[in-house]
Amino acid sequence: MIGYVPGHSLLHRAHPYTTLALAGALLLGAFALTRPLEVWLLVVAAAAFAVAGGVLRASARPALLLSLPIWVLLFVLHGLLGADPRMTVGPVSLSVPGIARALVLGGRLTAIVLGFLTALATASPHRLVEAMTAGGVPFGRTFLLASTLTVLPRMRERTTQILEAQQCRGLRLGGSPLARLRALVPLALPLVLGALAEVDEQVLALDARGAAGGVRRTALDPPRDSALQRALRWTLLALVVAAYAWKFWSMRG
Amino acid sequence: MTALVTLEGVTFTYPGADRPALVDVSLELAAGDVLVVTGESGAGASTLLLVATGLAPRVVGGRLTGARRIEARRCGVVFARPWTQLTGLCPTVRDEIAFGPASQGLPREAVLAAAERAMERLHIAHLAGREPAQLSGGELQRVVVAAVLAVEPEVLGLDDPAAELDPEAADALYDLLPAIAAAGTAIVVATPDLERAARVATRAVALEAGRIVARGAPADVLGGTEVAGIARAAGCPPPFPLDVPALLRRVSR
Repeated sequence: MIGYVPGHSLLHRAHPYTTLALAGALLLGAFALTRPLEVWLLVVAAAAFAVAGGVLRASARPALLLSLPIWVLLFVLHGLLGADPRMTVGPVSLSVPGIARALVLGGRLTAIVLGFLTALATASPHRLVEAMTAGGVPFGRTFLLASTLTVLPRMRERTTQILEAQQCRGLRLGGSPLARLRALVPLALPLVLGALAEVDEQVLALDARGAAGGVRRTALDPPRDSALQRALRWTLLALVVAAYAWKFWSMRG
Repeated sequence: MTALVTLEGVTFTYPGADRPALVDVSLELAAGDVLVVTGESGAGASTLLLVATGLAPRVVGGRLTGARRIEARRCGVVFARPWTQLTGLCPTVRDEIAFGPASQGLPREAVLAAAERAMERLHIAHLAGREPAQLSGGELQRVVVAAVLAVEPEVLGLDDPAAELDPEAADALYDLLPAIAAAGTAIVVATPDLERAARVATRAVALEAGRIVARGAPADVLGGTEVAGIARAAGCPPPFPLDVPALLRRVSR
């Protein structure tokens, strides 16, 4: 499941900025940490983030599906073709630094994807828009961010509709990977053209409803923020800065 | 009555097009008008609607020559496909309808009052708490019309508004138009649905290749409706009745 999952968890009730700050900290933290153990602790933190949102199952499955092929690629590239020293596991000779590198890269990717999907599943686009509106952010920027968060579920819905229509007209989806790849061709054009036409019409419709008026919009139901959440966001920022400072200090040492 | 929109010799060309979509079009729209614009596909009816409501060339781009005066402070537009006109960010119908007034920066209470008024006009108050994505096409189009009316447009454009609706919902939508016009709104409807348009139009315009080829009373311009055809075949002199009650009145005389 990719997209917002309604719920009442801690993250659902949190201010959307706090949820996004947590996901952002995971993203930035993933690049600041360089050792396998550190990175995999971050993966555990990303899993805890998903548990706090009550969306571990909803987020972990697509995160695994997205990460798994890249893990395999990383282990082949770095584990088999990496530098010495090497270790032998059964009939296979593996590069020790290569495996460490693959673990770091794979862990980073997993933490980032899991964090992003959890934020997507728990930060309601409507509440995010309300929060940004209350903060005086122009609607254009608000819409751009919120639309980005909702684009995946919308594309998935549209893909299903097009596939059903194409299947009614004889499209076969099974068979070899090559046949499946070929089946994507009749899907791609209507998906892209349809999305463009709809965006065109939506721009006109929203413009006619005053979206581009340049007036500061009224927030009808802005989410409540708290001193604790603001403190958490500042703490996350401080942690990220500290992680980068540690990284550069270690590199110099 | 003061014209809300005046077009004098207007020619409009879309970006990248080698032929104009509208050629030398002149017309006026005043409060209370229900102007039906018709023509074959590609004749320019939708373009005329975009030009009359100020969306072309401001939003769609292109080149407009001739004189256009839009005295109306606000123009609203309803397109054929209701789902492309939603913000996609509002969890309830009430929020969706409140989007326009909120974009005008009105105080919260005024925004909610405007949304309530619009819902009452469209008889959709019972849908206020529903999720827009869960509504039928007919319900959704009424929500879209309410969302546009909530910004209290002085000119309302409808581009084939019943194209996606079942006959009952289409009838209900057209039946709303005279009351909206009577409240002081100028309405322009681009549609091939002459039967329904004829019931509500106060004036009509027929386009061919972007040029106005006929204008005047609906009975004169929309004489191609089935009811008009029956009246003609029955030997009635013009102007022909355009709906069944009018036909019965003529026959009974």
